[in-house]
Amino acid sequence: MNEQLLSIININKYFGKSHILKDVTLDIKDGEFITLLGPSGCGKTTILRCIAGLESIDSGDILLYGESIKDLAPNKRNVNTVFQNYALFPHLNVYDNIAYGPRIKKSMGEGEIKKSVAEMLELVQMQGYEKRMTHQLSGGQRQRIAIARALINKPDILLLDEPLGALDLKLRKYMQTELAHLQKQAETTFIYVTHDQEEALNMSDRIVVMNEGVVQQVGTPGDIYNNSKNLFVAGFIGDRNIKEVKVLQKKGDFCSVKLGNSVIYIKPDRSLVDHDKCSEMETAVLAVHMDKMKISHEEVPNSLYGQITFVHYAGSQIKTEVDVDGELLTVIEYQNDYGNYNIGDKVYVSWEETGALLLPKEDTTGRGQDE
Amino acid sequence: MNIKQKKIRIFYLSLFFIILYVPVLSVVLYSFNDSSSTAYWAGFTLDWYRQLFNDRVIFESFKVSIEVALLTSVLSAIIGTASAIISIYVTKRAEKAMNGLMFLPLIVPEVALGISLLIFFSELKLPFGIFTLVISHSLFCVPYVHIMVVLRLKEINISIIEAAKDLGATRWQIIKTILLPLVMPSTLTASLLALAMSLDDVIISTYMAGPTTTTLPVHIFSMMRVGVTPKVNALCTLFLAGTFLLIGLNQIAGTKGGNIIEFEQKQIR
Repeated sequence: MNEQLLSIININKYFGKSHILKDVTLDIKDGEFITLLGPSGCGKTTILRCIAGLESIDSGDILLYGESIKDLAPNKRNVNTVFQNYALFPHLNVYDNIAYGPRIKKSMGEGEIKKSVAEMLELVQMQGYEKRMTHQLSGGQRQRIAIARALINKPDILLLDEPLGALDLKLRKYMQTELAHLQKQAETTFIYVTHDQEEALNMSDRIVVMNEGVVQQVGTPGDIYNNSKNLFVAGFIGDRNIKEVKVLQKKGDFCSVKLGNSVIYIKPDRSLVDHDKCSEMETAVLAVHMDKMKISHEEVPNSLYGQITFVHYAGSQIKTEVDVDGELLTVIEYQNDYGNYNIGDKVYVSWEETGALLLPKEDTTGRGQDE
Repeated sequence: MNIKQKKIRIFYLSLFFIILYVPVLSVVLYSFNDSSSTAYWAGFTLDWYRQLFNDRVIFESFKVSIEVALLTSVLSAIIGTASAIISIYVTKRAEKAMNGLMFLPLIVPEVALGISLLIFFSELKLPFGIFTLVISHSLFCVPYVHIMVVLRLKEINISIIEAAKDLGATRWQIIKTILLPLVMPSTLTASLLALAMSLDDVIISTYMAGPTTTTLPVHIFSMMRVGVTPKVNALCTLFLAGTFLLIGLNQIAGTKGGNIIEFEQKQIR
């Protein structure tokens, strides 16, 4: 565990004239569940294909256990892929699909294969399906078989390219938990690609947020969620109110900013976010999670005063829009937390001092909220 | 739809099928007619079939036809499938060129093709017979196999090939374990088509036949010149039966292939 497994060093990739991967550098540890997260077209799948050897890289290097694998053919790399559409072999049954790898590489005898296939089917909880053809399986079952077919080869890394994309919401949620458990059980490093932040936050040990071929931030789900490093990550992860503010004064850890005509104090986390880049009297960006905000009828210190313009009931949550000097803020609260609010009510909006991010305005590597 | 339109439609369809199948039926009918004239019905007989089976020349040409058709269908299945698989491994431009060239033998008039083959094989001093027949028949059968297999390959999800590569398969192993099994239904369908086309080819076979090796259609054609005997009707009837059998087999193979395509499309979704 935690031994350095894969190093991606400054790789660049072009498709014709478009620069798909720009100086991507990543370190992946043994036994990790790492997720590449980003909007479609950000290059996350390309990284996966470069690791698998299905795409070549134009510069840089990829090291597996310290040795370069960039010039090895895919069949010579000890990594396996679970494809987006599973790519099961339609003319083979479940058993033969799973046995394909060891048979083709002649890495096991038929007896051993039989044992391994049984183990794999047990791992993915598909015992008894050996003789089924792949078209007789449901989406979730196919995806398990695809994972079994890859894991039987005991890869150093399992690459998963949006494997839950084709499943319906309920199954997707279920499979998220399943996959996370499976990864720990199989003791294999997973590199998972998705554009779904919820999936990423749910399953990963670490998340790599990407946009336009550039790594934006690498960190634990908590880090990524709470301490987004730049505007793109802040806009892409979680539901945030993102507003332009004027920085009035910076004093120690505190900072006073002006939103519309109201002034509010915030205390951004200095250790993670480089808010030194935001200088006094200049415009910066304030980002606050919608569900970290509170509204109340009574005045609270350090709050913004506004009028409710819209109330939206979304099951257990209530989404309220508050107009503060012409700036719309969205607040998400749980139904039983506070009293009822109606359109037209005058309310105070507040949040924990440390709950806000102050980000430099110009640091916008690509637009956020693409998807 | 009003009744009048419906009637016109039914009338049109009936006319179509009558024109298509009545002549065929009449051949079958007159092959059992107990008279050498096709002017009237003189009762049922199997005499013409008896005569047919006792005709050594017809029997020999039939043997040649079958032999040529089988060899052609095997040869063109191998060449066409191989060329189709090669076409997905070459550059896009080469693939286009290949597909374009494959269409040529289908466009060039058979008469011209036949003459050019005749000149070519004479220059090479090749004896005319089964060999030249098989080569020339394959010439117009390979494109059919190639096209059908290419169409099938286009339906195969590219990530299946990548998955095989990813699992450690070399190019040959991919061809052997993935591509060939997946295109096999199309290859079989196409080779049956080749069999049928070789069996009823007249024009090219006329040029390619050797002095002692004629194919059945060429022989029938020459028999026609001296007048139609009911023996030809009997022969045509058997030929028809054979063709329908092939078409039937073709349909079965085709449906089987179709199923796999459907599975895969489901998988992609």
